[in-house]
Amino acid sequence: MPGPIVAIGGAEFQMRPENEALHDYIVSLLDAPAPRVCLVPTASGDPRDQIGAFHATMERRGAVASSISLFRLGEDAIDPAAHLLAQDAIYVTGGSMVNLMALWREHGIDVLMRQAHERGILLCGYSAGSMCWFETGISRGAGAPAPVAGIGLLAGSHCVHYSQDPARRDAYRTAVAAGGIGPGLALDDHAAALFRDGRLVEAVRSRKTAAAFHVDAGPDGVAETAVAARLLPAPGAAPEPGLEEMRELRRMRSTRPPGPGRLGRRD
Amino acid sequence: MEDEAEIVPFPQDDERQIVAFGGGGFSMEAGNPLLDDYVLELARARRGRPRVCFLPTASGDADHYVVRFYRAFGAAGCEPSHVSLFRRDRGAADLRDHLLSQDLIYVGGGSVISLLGTWRAHGIDAILAEAWRRGVILCGLSAGSLCWYSQGVTSFHGEVLRVRGLGLLPWSNCVHYGSKQGPRESYHAMLRRGMCPGYAAEDGSALHFRGSRMVAAVASRPDARAWCVGDGGDRVIETALPTRFLGGEPRPGGDELQAVA
Repeated sequence: MPGPIVAIGGAEFQMRPENEALHDYIVSLLDAPAPRVCLVPTASGDPRDQIGAFHATMERRGAVASSISLFRLGEDAIDPAAHLLAQDAIYVTGGSMVNLMALWREHGIDVLMRQAHERGILLCGYSAGSMCWFETGISRGAGAPAPVAGIGLLAGSHCVHYSQDPARRDAYRTAVAAGGIGPGLALDDHAAALFRDGRLVEAVRSRKTAAAFHVDAGPDGVAETAVAARLLPAPGAAPEPGLEEMRELRRMRSTRPPGPGRLGRRD
Repeated sequence: MEDEAEIVPFPQDDERQIVAFGGGGFSMEAGNPLLDDYVLELARARRGRPRVCFLPTASGDADHYVVRFYRAFGAAGCEPSHVSLFRRDRGAADLRDHLLSQDLIYVGGGSVISLLGTWRAHGIDAILAEAWRRGVILCGLSAGSLCWYSQGVTSFHGEVLRVRGLGLLPWSNCVHYGSKQGPRESYHAMLRRGMCPGYAAEDGSALHFRGSRMVAAVASRPDARAWCVGDGGDRVIETALPTRFLGGEPRPGGDELQAVA
């Protein structure tokens, strides 16, 4: 069964509540006691500070973090195929979608992502790392916002930073209205959407003002429909469990039979 | 054949210039500006205060690398700039205009496969070829050397890989020659299997081309060498090139370099 995909309109790894809630959400979708989560920071050129922040973010949640830097493959001596396909989740960060797609093609990562999806691995990411899963995204990778083809695991188009980047929003609406690209999903920063089997299961948000929209061609050019997004619980509402307790909790979750009493699973 | 060899005058008038470093310059030789000074001097023939644009693409536009470029070139009597393809703030027309208005384009090291893939996605490959034809001097080290040739060999990604460059120079290339990153044996094996002849450059050496012809081999270290390599039928022929050390007196015969191809 293909794995879930989580698209995030915008986030980062800084320890701010709106970021932390989204990362809690992603980790909550994973069933392993110590889930393996691999960062693919290609779109931003594999910056070391982002890699460090990702490791800290995931390790605080009891996950086993790693990363694949296409700009340093020799140095890190990781076989991308073996490594990516052994993950519970693959996290793709933002930057240039144009470069992301070009580099993935060059290194065969696009094919691996498809395989990972088919094997049930959760794929997620923000910004370029969110749009890459769709047929089309709206990228500033070549300067002005313009449609760019993604790997197409999800049908239709996707626009990130929707309310935060008016020029991108306008370019997206224009392209959808003109029929140049298919209808799709627009996400604000700190809004996210969970897809299973190619269908939107739920939209969530970690900030009250963040919204999600379905954007389609309409009689007046473009039709924008708000998608209800569940407000995620604020992180730190409960005392943060230690690493070992977190692992213990995950072990309990994964050994329990599935059922309504199952902890933390949002089906 | 050898009897018929003739000395071909250097085409010093060919405006299309490339200086390919085997390794060195501000990226690798802190405190030794000899190779960077060499390319800057060539650029000064075009403009008193030359425009120098750094392309850090092969490193993923690493911030620290861009900072080091400005540190090295900021005080060098030139007009430095850089182009980031990961944070593009220039439109396509601007990007082209900017690159074509330069006197020297300096390509940094890193992953040559990522470099070429990213360039293609932005059409930089075509712009650089045009810049070269118009007389903008192209230079670079490591991945920034391999990229100008037809073919190259790299072990940057761990395993030894054969890469196709932009092909402005109709030769093959191996950088960091003789070191772990510049696998001599693998390069020779590829030459035996039909890779076109070419040039191998050790760290600290650089090859200066006008058009497709090599006109000088220079070095920032007295012992750095460069080689002309090709398949000789039953073995690989490796010819040491007379290399001029830029830091001192020219070696005897160092200027008597003849066309090697």
